[in-house]
Amino acid sequence: MTQPGKNTLSGLVVNRAMRRQVIRLSQDTPIGNSINALIKYKINALLTTDAADKPIGVLSKTDIMGAYYAGLPIDSPLSHIMSTPPLFCSPEDSLEDALEQMRSNGIYRLYVNDPENDEIVGALAYPDIVGMLYLYCHECEYSHFRQKRKKDKDGVRRFAVEEIMTREVKSVFKDEPLLQVMELLSEYRLGAILVKDRENIPCGVISKTDLALIYKHGVDSQTAAKAIMSSPVQSCGADELLEDAIRKMIFTDVHRLFVHQSTPDNIVGVISLSDAARIRSGSCHACISSRIKVDAP
Amino acid sequence: MKIAARDIMTTGFHTLTPETPVNEAIKLFKQANQEEGRKIFGMMVTDNDGHLIGMISMYDILIYMRPKHIHIWGVMDDIDVAGIIDVACEKTKSILVGDIMTPDVITITPQTHIFMIMDIMIKKHIRRLPVIEDGKIMGIVYISNLFYDLLERFADE
Repeated sequence: MTQPGKNTLSGLVVNRAMRRQVIRLSQDTPIGNSINALIKYKINALLTTDAADKPIGVLSKTDIMGAYYAGLPIDSPLSHIMSTPPLFCSPEDSLEDALEQMRSNGIYRLYVNDPENDEIVGALAYPDIVGMLYLYCHECEYSHFRQKRKKDKDGVRRFAVEEIMTREVKSVFKDEPLLQVMELLSEYRLGAILVKDRENIPCGVISKTDLALIYKHGVDSQTAAKAIMSSPVQSCGADELLEDAIRKMIFTDVHRLFVHQSTPDNIVGVISLSDAARIRSGSCHACISSRIKVDAP
Repeated sequence: MKIAARDIMTTGFHTLTPETPVNEAIKLFKQANQEEGRKIFGMMVTDNDGHLIGMISMYDILIYMRPKHIHIWGVMDDIDVAGIIDVACEKTKSILVGDIMTPDVITITPQTHIFMIMDIMIKKHIRRLPVIEDGKIMGIVYISNLFYDLLERFADE
């Protein structure tokens, strides 16, 4: 049973939430080849290794965007753009400690090193933690999904998307160049940006994944946003339940949803799996795990 | 006596270009199956000059189609999200062969000994090796080519 005031993440260890498949590439790998691995495995970063196959750095989509922005040749080695060193935690560390380590270092993932055998056994990133908590919520007796089947309501207050979403939504106009897109993504540390037409109607989204792909395809960074954006904008309503939004993201491999209010064109926020993990993770007030706080509110 | 790649390789093969969308590539796999009269699980990817730049296998495509969080919801027996498979299939239209192919390809020459080929396939867990000479693709050795060669040897006894 959960004690009042006690974080239910207590007692949960990294081992429970980590992703066990860790993609690693030699630091000599050309950037272009690493993009294939990121796309194929749908990951935001991979581990880079030295000649002795020891982990030496982390290569993220942000690093790739930086290379594209700087006009680096696509066949440059990962060693030129990777971040070093990788940060590690242990499979038996508590999730709270791991989250704190990520927060205090301003990073989005830790690699999990098994101290006994000194080998990498997993990777821990925010979306994986949301995934694990979603599983808990799904199995919980207060689950919105289970409650739907019952007639009487339980009175538990559930989070709506608007309570969790980021309200400041950055956007570019569809005729602005990709260089501008990359500057904004970098400045505000975003994973994606909304694209609008000159009448301020949202018409698409550009993510770091899209940018990695077109870098590989040799598209000029002066190209207009509209040429590469994905549309339509994937969105959900501000008053929808957080549980439903998380569910939609987890099931359809979408990392973020824009949030509309009243009409689909009125975008008032954005919610990503990372936000859901960093701010609050569960979907209702029934247990304390829904209130883990990683970032200061 | 068959002793090297050139003796057992398949010289009639299909290739793909990196610009081909993955959904088109899947159709071309099907077509190649029919034309070659065998199950094709991987194809070579070539540039405009016919040079080998990668391989794409059924496995690469399946890895890409696999939902990222399947380990979370795959265990739930009460999921009711309609159209998940359609969404995954739709995504293969906007992704290209060059985006998910394996770019680092191990190759052999026509002179590579069949035991060497066996050793590479076992150690590297691969089932097909392009045969390259002077930068040109001469053929491809499938793991089945190795086995059929063995079958023939025993049949002759």
